[in-house]
Amino acid sequence: MPRTTQLFSYHRKHAQLTEFAGYEMPLWYTTTSEEHLAVRNSSGIFDVSHMGRVEIKGTAATSFLEGVVPTAVKTQPPGKAFYTLLLNERGGIIDDLIIMRLSDEHYVLVVNAANKEADLSHLRSCSPGPNLEIADFTSASVMIAVQGPKAAASLQPLADLDLSQLKRFRFSETRVLGNRALVSRTGYTGEDGFEVILFDSTNDNPEKALRVWEGLAHSSSPCGLGARDSLRLEAGFPLHGVDIDPRTNPFEADLSWVISAGKGDYVGSKALSESKSPPDFVRRGIVLGRGIPRHGFDVLSDSGKVGVVTSGTFSPILRRGIALGRMDQNSSGLGAKVRVMVRDSEVESTVVKPPFYDEQAYGWRRRSNDN
Amino acid sequence: MDFQGYKIPEGLMYTKEHEWAKDEGGLIRVGITDYAAKTLNDVVYVTSPKVGDKVSQFSAMGTVESIKAVSELYSPLSGTVANVNQQLDSHPELVNKSPYDEGWLVEVKPSDYPTERKLLLDAKAYADHLGSLLKK
Repeated sequence: MPRTTQLFSYHRKHAQLTEFAGYEMPLWYTTTSEEHLAVRNSSGIFDVSHMGRVEIKGTAATSFLEGVVPTAVKTQPPGKAFYTLLLNERGGIIDDLIIMRLSDEHYVLVVNAANKEADLSHLRSCSPGPNLEIADFTSASVMIAVQGPKAAASLQPLADLDLSQLKRFRFSETRVLGNRALVSRTGYTGEDGFEVILFDSTNDNPEKALRVWEGLAHSSSPCGLGARDSLRLEAGFPLHGVDIDPRTNPFEADLSWVISAGKGDYVGSKALSESKSPPDFVRRGIVLGRGIPRHGFDVLSDSGKVGVVTSGTFSPILRRGIALGRMDQNSSGLGAKVRVMVRDSEVESTVVKPPFYDEQAYGWRRRSNDN
Repeated sequence: MDFQGYKIPEGLMYTKEHEWAKDEGGLIRVGITDYAAKTLNDVVYVTSPKVGDKVSQFSAMGTVESIKAVSELYSPLSGTVANVNQQLDSHPELVNKSPYDEGWLVEVKPSDYPTERKLLLDAKAYADHLGSLLKK
């Protein structure tokens, strides 16, 4: 039996359901395109309660995390949320995650649902010592993403915090409809928006989670995993397990920006310092002429196969097929002309650097956004 | 008729692969059913055969693709493609909005209609087929 989130009674009534990472989740409520465009043009809400939420506490918390992730931890101010990676000893990506620093002795990690157990056993194997507590509080909380240019207007009436004071990649402890919550200005769509973790909420008592969701649904469109995938792809964000995995290092994943220069040793640092530079292959965006690229499709040039599509979709903004692909280094130049094998036809395509949309018009950097 | 929220008009012929066929007096108009359209959710590309192409009953003749998935299009009858719905090039969403009317896909001039039509389902038989699929 798949698990369900605390908002399941709403999804069952309003959405087409699908199983994802062991959870029964909404795939769409109306259509993927409509939900996608609602987020780009207005505001959408996503139940992301299936994502793993882990608390790390104790006097050793900072030094522990410093030895586990490639991003500098101790220089992050309290109230900062940052994207980083968990690496294995070979420098391969076990997972990508957001870490929120509440204090020197208290952090919250948000990890991929499918990787939560692997992440927990990895963290526990990194010899935490006595002054450290690692606690999974996923099932005792709810997580809702509110995303889009009108996300702040949608969430503000429910939140005690003045959202206009919350900067990108910052978070704050506050109350949402009276419930203890952690609100961060983060997301997985490329748009401005927030992720809300509601504490002290379980499947036995889903009422307050449902009240928050339904309160948001007055001004935001409920969005399923279909739109979540097309939005993250259009923004160029990799999906772990598909675009990046434990055999991909941060250089190959085009995520080397997460590595802080000059920090001490961490799991995987030795392997990364010895890794090939530039790497043999690298993650890139590909825009197609006609047709939709899918996982596993080959990318060709005149010299033969030069890459493979790791994930693809139809971009509702570009009205074209777009993909993330693993490209040979010498065919990864931006603007390179390649061909994607869409079943039995070769489609003229171009290598690009995501996001795929025009950042003047879409995304959190858009001109109309005064943040 | 309406079957568990899916429209299944009387008077059309159906395949188990969720295509419909309608006798237009000489030509057979073909499309996908409301169930197929709703399952695909969000059609963005239709790849139809070309006018003049030969098609054979229950063989693949094109694809209907949504954001999430690609689905083969099977011909309900053998014959020659006489028309394709060119509106779908710029408005593929018509397949979702109007699967039995503006979202039709191709018209086929059948070569063995009297024999082959017997292999197609009527609305009642298609509803029973759908019922058995949805129960699984």
